[in-house]
Amino acid sequence: MPVLSIMGLTAKYGKYTSIKEVNIEVIKGEIVVLLGANGAGKSTTFKTISGLLKPAAGEIIFNDEQIGGKQPDKIVELGIVQCAEDRKLFPQMSVQQNLMMGAYVHRRNKGQIKQSLKEVNELFPILYDKREDAAGSLSGGQQQMLAIGRALMAKPKLMLLDEPSIGLAPLIVEQMFKSIEHINREGTTILLAEQNANAALSIADKGYVYENGKIVVHGSSAELFSNEEVRKAYIGA
Amino acid sequence: MELLLQQLFNGLTIGSVYSLVALGLTLVYGILHIPNFAHGALYMVGGYITLMMMTNAGLHYVLAIVVSIIVVGLLSVLMERLVFHPLRDSPPIQDKVAAIGILLFLEALAQLLWGADYRQMPTPFGEVVNVFGLTLTLQRIIIVAAAIAVMIFLYWFLKKTFIGSTIIAMAQNREGAALVGINTNKVAILTFFIAGALAAIGASLTSPINLVFPGMGHLVILKAFVIIIIGGMGSIPGAILGGYILGFTESIGATYISSDYKDIIAFVLLIIILSAKPQGIFSKGGA
Ligand SMILES: Nc1ncnc2c1ncn2[C@@H]1O[C@H](COP(=O)(O)OP(=O)(O)OP(=O)(O)O)[C@@H](O)[C@H]1O
Ligand SMILES: [Mg+2]
Repeated sequence: MPVLSIMGLTAKYGKYTSIKEVNIEVIKGEIVVLLGANGAGKSTTFKTISGLLKPAAGEIIFNDEQIGGKQPDKIVELGIVQCAEDRKLFPQMSVQQNLMMGAYVHRRNKGQIKQSLKEVNELFPILYDKREDAAGSLSGGQQQMLAIGRALMAKPKLMLLDEPSIGLAPLIVEQMFKSIEHINREGTTILLAEQNANAALSIADKGYVYENGKIVVHGSSAELFSNEEVRKAYIGA
Repeated sequence: MELLLQQLFNGLTIGSVYSLVALGLTLVYGILHIPNFAHGALYMVGGYITLMMMTNAGLHYVLAIVVSIIVVGLLSVLMERLVFHPLRDSPPIQDKVAAIGILLFLEALAQLLWGADYRQMPTPFGEVVNVFGLTLTLQRIIIVAAAIAVMIFLYWFLKKTFIGSTIIAMAQNREGAALVGINTNKVAILTFFIAGALAAIGASLTSPINLVFPGMGHLVILKAFVIIIIGGMGSIPGAILGGYILGFTESIGATYISSDYKDIIAFVLLIIILSAKPQGIFSKGGA
């Protein structure tokens, strides 16, 4: 059963059409990757799902409910949480405060917040070591971990991860993808946007390839791996 | 020595009021990046509501302040809903023009409703007390104590409660706040309410030692802007520290230089501090 079905989704910035008639289906428990070059439309798709941008046309169905055009806070309450490409942390708040804000929708459930905090600290021990530090003082990799940790604090059913590997050292990237797999195994469905097609396809069930705001190819990870054009454009072999 | 102590206490008194007014201004600036010139009108309305509740409705000073807090808080929210919210996607200059428009409108309205006279606000705390050899009116002690209590409460609210933290979160990253599930509209409403309440408290506390009149907000709002520029736009500790710096400088300056120049001191201070720290004392904003 699909948790998320996007049908004919079009989104615009003013008059400029950024994505056009996009169709995506995500099944419960999957890792699905959106591939595409700079400016292809991955982040726009995420912004529209999260409610930061209103769809110009099309539908976004989450667990049988039409969510296109709802306010961002309602979408988080329904269980879709985005970890944006520029992370959008609260830079002068401490690491711990950032995580606490991530649990905002569960603010009345102190027990659950404590449990989530424990889980996040186990997944990213560095966040516990740096709990008193300002988020803005962390390294790029640590900030990315904090962004993912903050998203996890909301206990999402579906997590949108926008280029978590961007700007990170290769060793950290590998670790990051391991963490994503771990989060998925623990029960969170994941929609991932990446330019690092090789690494992303190796953990994903299936993928969609964007070009100029449209999806041009889609298929299982194995299919995309063996697709000539995808290899040429995104894997470089 | 005694004169100096007296002046330091004076500085503490006016500084407390400046800090309260500047705090409201900086909170609103932090989340919406609006320099809300109409904040001075909220201050003025706060003074009048308290005065009217006392003289016309016969309420006790403290109760009158509570009514004033609620009325001005709601007026501030109304301002956000009717003017700033609809203008959220317009060029920034429109917010500024609108804010000045609201200021002029409310002042004209106050003059129409309550006249242009300078009015005295009575206080039940008029007696003179002796503290550490200083002769002070109880009202001045109450100004300082109440302002500090309000600021401590505000600090606790912003830092230690989930609801209060939403204001700081939104000031530090608006989209980030939306993405953790915070309703940014509600935060804007809450922030404007708090700003209005702080203006009402500031005006009600200081009115018994000053006067109530339609233009009473002018100088205060100008100085509050100086304070938040000095302290760093959007910075909470900056607004508090800036308020006291200005309060002390003014009262000392009035004694040792000349009280004729008291109101210029703010702007001299502005120039001096900005030459040293162009972004203000707490330049990072937020808190
Ligand atoms: N705020 C904006 N205003 C106007 N146009 C925008 C805005 N954000 C993105 N665009 C345009 O929309 C198109 C899609 O951009 P988008 O950010 O979705 O791409 P992306 O696939 O996420 O790229 P990247 O890999 O660089 O993050 C681009 O042409 C971009 O220039
Ligand atoms: Mg992007």
